Amino acid sequence: MSQRHLLALFNNFEDAEAAIYELRAANIKGFNFDDLTLKSPIEHHEVENILGQRSAKVQWFTLAGALMGGLLGFFLISGAQANFYAQMKGGKPIVPLPPNFVLTFEMFVLGGVFISVLGFLICAGLPARRSPLYSAKVSEDQIGILVKADEPAMAKIKGVFLNHGVLEIQEEAGK
Amino acid sequence: MSVNNLLENWSQFRHFHPVDDKPHDPYKWAMSIDLDACTGCNACSVACYAENNLPVVGKEKYAHGQAMHWIRIERYWDEDDREFPDQGAQFLPMMCQQCEAAPCETVCPVAATNHTADGLNSQVYNRCIGSRYCSANCPYKVRYFNWYDYPSDDNVWPAEMNQQLNPDVTVRGKGVMEKCTFCVQRLHAAKGTARSEGRIVRDGEVQTACQQACPASAISFGNLVDPESRVHKQWQAQQVALDKDVQTKDKEEGGSELRGYRIFEELRPYPSVMYLERVRESAV
Amino acid sequence: MKDIREDIAWAKINKDVLGSLENPRKLYWVILFCAFAAFGVGIGCEVYQYQTGLGVANLNNPHAWGLYISTFIFWIGMSHSGTLLSAILHLMHADWRKPIYRFAEAMTTFSLMTAGLFVMVHIGRLWQFYYSLPYPDERGIWPNFQSPLLWDAMAIFTYLSSSILFLYVGMIPDLAICRDNMHEGWRKKLYTLLSLGWEGTDRQWRNFRVTYLTIACFLIPLAVSVHSIVAADFAMSQQPGWHVTSFPPYFVAGALYSGCSGIITLFIILRYVFKFEEYMTLSILKKIVRLTFAIAMVWTYLNAVEFASVWYSSDQASKDILIQKATGTYAPFWWGMIFCGSIVPLTLAFKRAQTSIPMLFAVSLLLNLGMWLERWMIIAPTFSHGYYPWTWDHDQWPSLVQWGMVFGSFGWFTMLFMVFCKVFPSVSMYEVKEMVYHRSLHLKKSETAEQGAP
Repeated sequence: MSQRHLLALFNNFEDAEAAIYELRAANIKGFNFDDLTLKSPIEHHEVENILGQRSAKVQWFTLAGALMGGLLGFFLISGAQANFYAQMKGGKPIVPLPPNFVLTFEMFVLGGVFISVLGFLICAGLPARRSPLYSAKVSEDQIGILVKADEPAMAKIKGVFLNHGVLEIQEEAGK
Repeated sequence: MSVNNLLENWSQFRHFHPVDDKPHDPYKWAMSIDLDACTGCNACSVACYAENNLPVVGKEKYAHGQAMHWIRIERYWDEDDREFPDQGAQFLPMMCQQCEAAPCETVCPVAATNHTADGLNSQVYNRCIGSRYCSANCPYKVRYFNWYDYPSDDNVWPAEMNQQLNPDVTVRGKGVMEKCTFCVQRLHAAKGTARSEGRIVRDGEVQTACQQACPASAISFGNLVDPESRVHKQWQAQQVALDKDVQTKDKEEGGSELRGYRIFEELRPYPSVMYLERVRESAV
Repeated sequence: MKDIREDIAWAKINKDVLGSLENPRKLYWVILFCAFAAFGVGIGCEVYQYQTGLGVANLNNPHAWGLYISTFIFWIGMSHSGTLLSAILHLMHADWRKPIYRFAEAMTTFSLMTAGLFVMVHIGRLWQFYYSLPYPDERGIWPNFQSPLLWDAMAIFTYLSSSILFLYVGMIPDLAICRDNMHEGWRKKLYTLLSLGWEGTDRQWRNFRVTYLTIACFLIPLAVSVHSIVAADFAMSQQPGWHVTSFPPYFVAGALYSGCSGIITLFIILRYVFKFEEYMTLSILKKIVRLTFAIAMVWTYLNAVEFASVWYSSDQASKDILIQKATGTYAPFWWGMIFCGSIVPLTLAFKRAQTSIPMLFAVSLLLNLGMWLERWMIIAPTFSHGYYPWTWDHDQWPSLVQWGMVFGSFGWFTMLFMVFCKVFPSVSMYEVKEMVYHRSLHLKKSETAEQGAP
C-alpha cells in the first residue's frame, strides 16, 4: 500500500505536544507512531517524554575516538623516537615520558572531537536528503509534525491535527 | 614492529646522560683552555673563520650583533680599584661548549641538533628550519644564525676570494643556525685514517683550527677517554669530572686551589670545555 | 537596564540577524579596505624579509626572537575567551552567553589563524616548515617530540581544528535558517551545502545537543593545555625570567584576560555596526565586564606571585632581569604593562563604567595594549639580559619590518572577521530563541505560582 507524507504546522509547542499525545492514543490503523517526526526551530527535549527514548549514540563514538587518538598518539610518538636513529638529545631519555604525555593528551582530544563530529553526522543522518515536505516556517517560529502513513489513515490524522489548532497542513501530491 | 622495539629495548630508551649512563667510548672530544696563557690575540678566531668558511659580515652588521664568530675572545677587566682597569684585562675564548646534556638539543622542533656518539653537539644544516629556539635556550649564547644569505646575496666571498674557502666544509645559506663543531671535518678525517689502520686516533694527531693557531698553546684538545691524552691528564689533574654538576673539590670547605672550572656547571649542561683560571697578581 | 525582551517575536530575531548579512553599508567597505591595506603592509614586509633574510627584522645574537613570538602569544591569548564563553559558560548554563558566543568563537578561530602566521614568518627557512610536521618519511626522520615548539604546533592544530568544528557544528541550525531565507544565488548554494540538509527534526536536535556538549567538554581542557604549552615554551627552557613554575597558569589567566577585553571591543563594534542593541544588551556587556575585572585581578595576583617568588629566591640572574625590567631600557613598557593590565581595570569596578560604552571601548583597547606589552616584556628582557654577561644587549630595537608585520596581523584578523560577519550570522539565532523561550517559560511558571499562592 502506498504511503504518503503530511506536514502539519503549529504555532507553539504545547499544541503540537497535545496533537502528538492524541495521535499516540488514537492508535490509527495504517500509521506507525515511529514514523512521526517533530521539526522545531529550537530544541525541545521534553519531546522525548512523548516520542519515547530515542537514544543518542554519539558518546560511544567519542569514547572510541578519544581512546584511539590517545593510544595512536602515544605509540606513534614513542615508536618514532625509538626508531629515529635513537639519537640522544640534551641528556634526556630517548623516550621521555613527560613530553609524550603532553602530546598524547592532544591526540586524545583531537581524536575525541573529530570522531564525535563524525558520530554526530552518522547518528543524525547528516548530510541528509531533504524530506519531501518542509516549510521555512519551521526554521523561524513554528513547530512542524511530519507523519508518514497509509492513504486511508490520512483523514483521521488530519482530523487530530485540526482539533489542536493547526495553522497549515501540507500534503504530498498523490501519485 | 615499533611497539615490539619499544618493549624489547625499553630500558635502553630510558636513561639519563651523562649521569647514569656509561661514558662515551672510544671517543669523547673535549677541550681545556688555559686562561693564564691566553693573550687575547684573536688568532684562534681568525683561524676559525678560515677553517670553517665563516662569513665576515662587515662593520654595520657586526654592530647590530649579527657577527658569525664561532669562537670569540671576550674581554673582562679586573675591577680591583686600580688606576687603569684595562691593565687588569683578561680574556676568555668562548665557543660552543659541546655540552653532554645540551639545553639546545631538547628544544629543537625538527631534531636538527643532536648529541653524537663521540660526545659532540652536532648541527644538521639541512634539517634546520631556523626557529632559533636553540639559541634562545643556550646559556652561553654561542649559536650563530645566518640572518642573511651571506654567500650569494651579500657576496662575502667575491670572485677569487672564494678560492680560500675550505672545500671540506659547506657554506651555509640564510635561515640556518650554526656554531662551533670542534672542527668536525678534521675529526672525521682523523677517525677515518685511524679506522683504516685498525687503531683509535692518537693524541695530537688531530687539532682544531683554534688550537693549531694559538701562539701561546692555551688550547688543548683531544680524546677525554684516552688516558694518554693531554686533555685527559689536565682534566684529571684539575679534578674536573665530566658528569658532575658540582665538582668534589668545590664541595670542600674554603674551595680548592686548583684552577680548573667549567662555566655554568650548576645549570647542568655538563660542558666539555674546561677553563683554567688565570693566576691573578694578587694571588701570586 | 534593558535585557533581551521575553516577548520578542521569533520572526523578528530571524529578520534582524539576517539583516546583518544583507548588503553592507559604506562604513563596512571602508573598514574592510583599511584592513586589507594593513594586511598588505604585512605581506610586503614578509616578502622583503623572505627575500633578504631575517636580518632585516633587526634580530641579533642574544635577541633571537622578537615581536613575532610576542605577538604570536598575544594572538593565541586572544583566542581563549571564545572558548571560555562558548564552552565553559555553556556547561554552566549561563544563558547570557547565547547572543554573543558566536562572534567570540569566530574570534577564537581567526586569532588562532593569525597566531599561526607568526610562527611562519618567524622561522628562518619558511620553505622548509614542513620538517616540523610528523609525516612518515622514507628515511625514518621524525620531528623532535621533546621540543615545546612541537607541542605548540600539535596543540594549535588540535585547538584550531576543534574550534572550527565547534563553530561549524553550532552554526548548522542557523545555516539552515539562512538557506530558508536567502534569495537564489551563490550564498543560497553555500548555505544549502553547509547546512547539510538540517531540518530541525527531533533526531537531529537530540544528537546535536550531545555532540555540542561533548565538544564543549573537550575544548575546556584543550584551551587550558594550549596556553600552558605556550607557557612551556618558556618555562621548559633554562633562561632566567622564563624558567618560572607559575608560568602556565599565568599565561592562561593572561589569555582569558586579553580575550575578554577583545570580546568587549568587538561586542561594542558589532552592536554599533549591525544595530544589535536588541540582542547584545547592556546587561550582557555588564556581565562580561565583571568577568574581565575578575580575571584582571587574577592576572595581577599571578604577576605579583611571580615577582615575589623571583625576588625572594636566590636566583640572582632572574632577579637581575626583574630589576632590568623595572629600571632598564624596557622600563617604560614594563610599567606601561603594569598600568594597563592592573591599574586600568580598576575602573571596571565602578558601576558607572560598567555600562558606559565609550569608556568601555577605550578601556578594552588599553587592556589589550597592556596584554601585548606583557608578552613583549616576557620575551625581550630575558634576551637582553640573559645568563651570559658578555652577550647582554639592551639596545636592540625591532625594525620597521617587525612592526609592519605586527600591524599587518591586525589587518588580517579584521579582514577575516569582517568577511565572517557578512557571510555567517554573527548572533546565534536559534540559541537566542532558546534563551527567550526558556525565560518566558520561567516567567509563566512564576506567574502561575504567584496566582496560586494566595
